[in-house]
Amino acid sequence: MEYFLQILLVGLLAGSVLSLVGVGFTLVLGVGKIANFAHGSFVGLGMYFAYWGHKTFGVSPYVMLVPGIVLFALVGVGIAELFEWRGRKIGELGVLLVGLALLLFIEGALSVTFGADVVTVGGGNLGSVRLFGLSVRLEEIVAAVFTLVVAAATYFFVKFTRWGRALRAVAENPTAAGLYGIRVPIAQRVAVTTSIVLAGVTGIMIAPFYSMTPAVGSTFLISAFAVVIIGGIGHTLGAVAAGLGIGVVNALSAGYLSSMWTGLVPLLIILGVLLARPNAARA
Amino acid sequence: MNRLDVIPERVRRWVVLGLFLVIGWFVVAGFDAPTTSLLVLGLYYGAAGLSFNFLFGSLGVFSLAQPVFLAVGGFSGVYLYNTYDISPWLTLLIAPILAGIVALPGALAAVRAGGGAVLTALITLILAQAVPPILIGIDKLGGAVGLYVDPPHAGHSAGAVMQYHLGAPFARILLVLNVLLIGFWMWWRRSRFGYYSAALHDSPEASEAIGVPNLRLKVWVFVISAMMAAPAGVVYAQYNLLSTPDLFFSPVALFQVIVVALVGGAARPWGTLVGSVFVTYIAAKASDLSGAKPGVGPLTFAAIFLLMALLLPRGISGTWAALVDRRRDRSTGSAEPATAAGGPSAEDAAVDGAEPDDAPRPATRT
Repeated sequence: MEYFLQILLVGLLAGSVLSLVGVGFTLVLGVGKIANFAHGSFVGLGMYFAYWGHKTFGVSPYVMLVPGIVLFALVGVGIAELFEWRGRKIGELGVLLVGLALLLFIEGALSVTFGADVVTVGGGNLGSVRLFGLSVRLEEIVAAVFTLVVAAATYFFVKFTRWGRALRAVAENPTAAGLYGIRVPIAQRVAVTTSIVLAGVTGIMIAPFYSMTPAVGSTFLISAFAVVIIGGIGHTLGAVAAGLGIGVVNALSAGYLSSMWTGLVPLLIILGVLLARPNAARA
Repeated sequence: MNRLDVIPERVRRWVVLGLFLVIGWFVVAGFDAPTTSLLVLGLYYGAAGLSFNFLFGSLGVFSLAQPVFLAVGGFSGVYLYNTYDISPWLTLLIAPILAGIVALPGALAAVRAGGGAVLTALITLILAQAVPPILIGIDKLGGAVGLYVDPPHAGHSAGAVMQYHLGAPFARILLVLNVLLIGFWMWWRRSRFGYYSAALHDSPEASEAIGVPNLRLKVWVFVISAMMAAPAGVVYAQYNLLSTPDLFFSPVALFQVIVVALVGGAARPWGTLVGSVFVTYIAAKASDLSGAKPGVGPLTFAAIFLLMALLLPRGISGTWAALVDRRRDRSTGSAEPATAAGGPSAEDAAVDGAEPDDAPRPATRT
């Protein structure tokens, strides 16, 4: 029983990271109507930003949060503009092209700047606690709590604020939202920028306990798609539940089956959902 | 009147393709070893990119699973020779069938999910991500280490089992493969199926109304695109004398196929080959200039791709097609150019994956 609880705990902690990635992605897919294939790469960029801060200035990744938010907001505004420009010119395929190109470019730039080897952010440990006989780093718990706070904040923002209602209206029906005076392009830019900030912040938050390579973003991309498709496009709380669910299923499969299944499980889940409910992914 | 105009255009295309093959056959033997290895890489990605662009040009959707079908070729070539003594030459015919079988479930899933650009890209990306762990889990295929090609078995000459000491024979094989794929695509574009897929690409509702079997056609185009990729994998594995998951599925390998295909563009069958040779050469030169610093090659690939995605989304061949159309319009004094912004002609637009620049987004493809 203790082994099961340990696995459950590991799954929930890993799942909280997926949830955090998914919350930003569900926003850009649901409101921005953009399948940003570079979303995972911005998580990777956040991780390397924290790594760079630690290596250069010797500061904790958490100190990099504030400059990180500013940096990713600026980057997000630029990327949103880029998507809008290409989307307006050549539609969905143009957006897809730009997303793929950004994914490749970010990975290439990280590879040239930091090398292709695996790196970790050392030092700055907050310590660890014992839960169900398992030693858990406090950084992981901080990330899990942060996920819940961000998800709750996003949920309340989208559900109860005037801006949030505008975003929901755009997600539901951009044409009708426009007729009611909502400035659809601005709402979509806000969604893209917010999702990139969330992706960057996710990277910074998980950097203390995640090893990273320049290609780390690609792995988050599939998970983000899985979370969003299972949780429902545009649903923040759905993304959190789906992320936690995938994390637990992943951990259970790794604990009780071969490790080969760890990577395969989210893929099989997403494929199963797409085959069973094709409408789930038609944003 | 141009002297070449006495030859009908349909024939002229095939003559040019034949001449390209003959000239290329002799030219590839004249390069030094480093240039030849670069050429082999360019031709390999050219063949792989052609399979990608065949699908993109026909249906306007991306397949990110082409490395899977290249790997099917690579692994089947090595495995069948090592285990059953089947020559890779024969596997060039067997591998496409295997790749078609592997592609069928993915094609059905993509079509069932609606066949849109994003969903198709997603489903094929899942396929590309799911295959490596499965491949590593199969002991007979060497696990994570992969398979090494056995030296020629007793009674076999090196040529009979596609094992050459030099790169030039491989460059020739890949050149022939590229020409065959370009020829097939040229035939396809002008065949009944080509017109069907152009109709489907332009308006699924209208094509269905005139009796085009939309779903069956989509699945077939997917499967054929996978079959086109497999032979390049067979040759590439023989060239490297091994077939490993990393050879086909490293992040760089995964996206290089897409980059060369999209830089070349899907408006003309020759576009991919031009794009592939161009991008491979530039990336290699950039890597040389940086003192072979790791990552510079892939970053150059990415930078070229990003620039193309932003500035020339129809790739080299799409831009060429637009220029040719504009020149033709000007010389004939046509009052109505092919597109409002001088984009490709209606025919090119039908086979081009992207919309003409500045064109409004059609409601059917959002």
